[in-house]
Amino acid sequence: MFYYLALAALLFSIGLYGVLTRRNIIGILMSLELMFNAANINFVTFNKFVITDGMTGQVFALFVIAVAAAEAVVGLAIVLLVYRNWQGIKTDYINVMKW
Amino acid sequence: MKGFYVAPYLSILIFIVIGIGLVLFTFFLARLIRPSHPYPAKTINYECAELPIGDSWIQFNPRFYIFALIFVIFDVEAVFLFPWAVAFGQLGLYALIEMVIFILILFYGLYYAWKQGVLKWV
Amino acid sequence: MDFQLPDYNLRLMLPEIFLFLWALVVITFDVVTKRKSESAAGYLSLLGLLITGGILSFTGYGRGFGTMFFSDPMALFFKVIFLGSAFMAIGSSFGITKQKIVNHRGEFFGLILFSTVGMMFLASSQELLSLYIGLELTTIPLFVLAGFFKDNKLSVEAAMKYFIIGAFSSALLIYGISFLYGLSGTTDILQMKINLAITHLTFKNIGVTLLLSIILVIAGIGFKLSLPPFHQWTPDVYEGSPTPIAAFLSVGSKAAGLVAFAKIFVNGLSAFYGPEMLPNDWGKLVATLAVLAMIIGNTVAIRQTNIKRMLAYSSIAQVGYIMIGMVAMNELGLSSVAFYAFAYMFANMGAFAVVAIFEDKTGLTQISSYAGLSKSSPLLAASMAVFLLSLAGIPPLAGFMAKYYVFAAAIKTAGSSASSSWLYWLVGVGMLTAVFSLYYYANVIKEMYFSKETSPYRVKFSAPALMVVCLGLIGVFLLGLYPEPIMRFASDISASFGFIPN
Repeated sequence: MFYYLALAALLFSIGLYGVLTRRNIIGILMSLELMFNAANINFVTFNKFVITDGMTGQVFALFVIAVAAAEAVVGLAIVLLVYRNWQGIKTDYINVMKW
Repeated sequence: MKGFYVAPYLSILIFIVIGIGLVLFTFFLARLIRPSHPYPAKTINYECAELPIGDSWIQFNPRFYIFALIFVIFDVEAVFLFPWAVAFGQLGLYALIEMVIFILILFYGLYYAWKQGVLKWV
Repeated sequence: MDFQLPDYNLRLMLPEIFLFLWALVVITFDVVTKRKSESAAGYLSLLGLLITGGILSFTGYGRGFGTMFFSDPMALFFKVIFLGSAFMAIGSSFGITKQKIVNHRGEFFGLILFSTVGMMFLASSQELLSLYIGLELTTIPLFVLAGFFKDNKLSVEAAMKYFIIGAFSSALLIYGISFLYGLSGTTDILQMKINLAITHLTFKNIGVTLLLSIILVIAGIGFKLSLPPFHQWTPDVYEGSPTPIAAFLSVGSKAAGLVAFAKIFVNGLSAFYGPEMLPNDWGKLVATLAVLAMIIGNTVAIRQTNIKRMLAYSSIAQVGYIMIGMVAMNELGLSSVAFYAFAYMFANMGAFAVVAIFEDKTGLTQISSYAGLSKSSPLLAASMAVFLLSLAGIPPLAGFMAKYYVFAAAIKTAGSSASSSWLYWLVGVGMLTAVFSLYYYANVIKEMYFSKETSPYRVKFSAPALMVVCLGLIGVFLLGLYPEPIMRFASDISASFGFIPN
């Protein structure tokens, strides 16, 4: 069980690092997916090793997959808008507003 | 319990190592044997002996993009069909009605996309 | 495997189901009529919200889907807030849909309704899975709505930022929730509360993992609430997105975050509150963030020149005040939070409605462009002044009573035992920053009333906009002068969370 949790933690950390450092929006989206999947691995692992009665963890993972897909689609559509407005998808372009 | 889950992967690991090693070894061997005469024509992309036109990094038509988006969303909704199908025997009519409602809502999405003209290849 | 079908009790879910179908109807209507009519879709969605409110008042309390769907006082109260904020957001967006959004009016209103459905599900969930789904259903339509002006760089930038932050925060939240699930073995919040307490008492060493999940969940919800240090996106998104959507974000989405917070922390993790629970005491952590929110929100708002950005920082500060009620953890706490959210809805939606009306007419959002507005359009200026004074907490308006209840709740806990006397500090910071906040609210009023020139803009109300502003004014005065009935209803919330008044 430790290995699975470590894998999830690793994935989560890679995703976190990617979101914070990537300059390409698609890269950020991919890192976000990594983070969601880390949570999925956690759910399934806990369901298999800790809470063996019931399927809540697995069902939860399914729902997270669906939610992540919906989020990715909206995100990709927004990326398309960004591309139309700036002719590129680097996050550096997006700095019209500052405090 | 720990060894039980890790052991089968050992053979996979050995396979991976051997596979990568074999490829690297043959590349290395070829490098030793082959003559080295670089000239510009060799670096051009091979397109059936024609000179390549333009960059190989082309922009895909954005229409593909929208199709891909629609595909992704409908594709992933299928994830809910599998557990439903597995448990269908115990659940009976109620589950059938529920799934019909679910599919109807998805169909509404398709109908909306159709009305928007997204599905038409102009 | 043998399944026991739970008692579905679909009757309780009727308002949500109706609103969801109604949103589909609104979109279909707009598509089928070839997008000809200018405001029919808007009136249709207002009607839908009213009918939903009507159904809501008949559903009553109970539970359905096993433990997944609860209809309790808290759900009912916050559903009214969600419906109200959606109502006022839609009412104040008629100007935008007439001028700027020509092609997708139905989708605009439909997505607001979808988001409202998500909030309502969230308010009824007593279970981490449905809570998470509700939260996502709330946010995903809002990503789209923030970027609704497709060719406006500001709007697209707002959507992009909001999307990245929103998805990031939900990833943090779900990772935190996965640990809560692993530690407690259940996703039912009430069961989780018991299991975690038992685990804590028997093993004494769930410290680090629980702390990790607490931090992740606070970060995840903190982004939705724009609680510092997770607040940087707020002003940018509010400035870029369409004004009614900014209003909806600042009230509806924030109230949804509050509900999620109350459910997970005040209910599920209530055992881990108090200094003897170190390092898992979430109370002090949240209190620190609340202090940060009040200080950052109120000081940075002073130097803003754009009114939408100023209101964004003011909303950050307001969340700080609400959080005081959240950490009070007594029978007044949650009621004061609910009351605050209700009062805040009227004042903030009203202020944003005025900004939207002004922007529809002039296209300007600078504070300086409000100069001399009291002479050219006195009604607009007067209502704006009332809303801002309510946000600042001036008696006899709603904001004053809300702040009073929140502070009273905190003081009551602080006086109860020596270990919680740090709450006095929290209240002190709150009162001090409230005085600061008066400065920037009064600044706008000064521009409108005491400027020598007369504003060149004569702004007229359209019928729905007038309705929204009147609703806001009525709410602000009613809650300020006669808060008892609402507060009595709100006190049921604390009771349903197990805080019995003594």
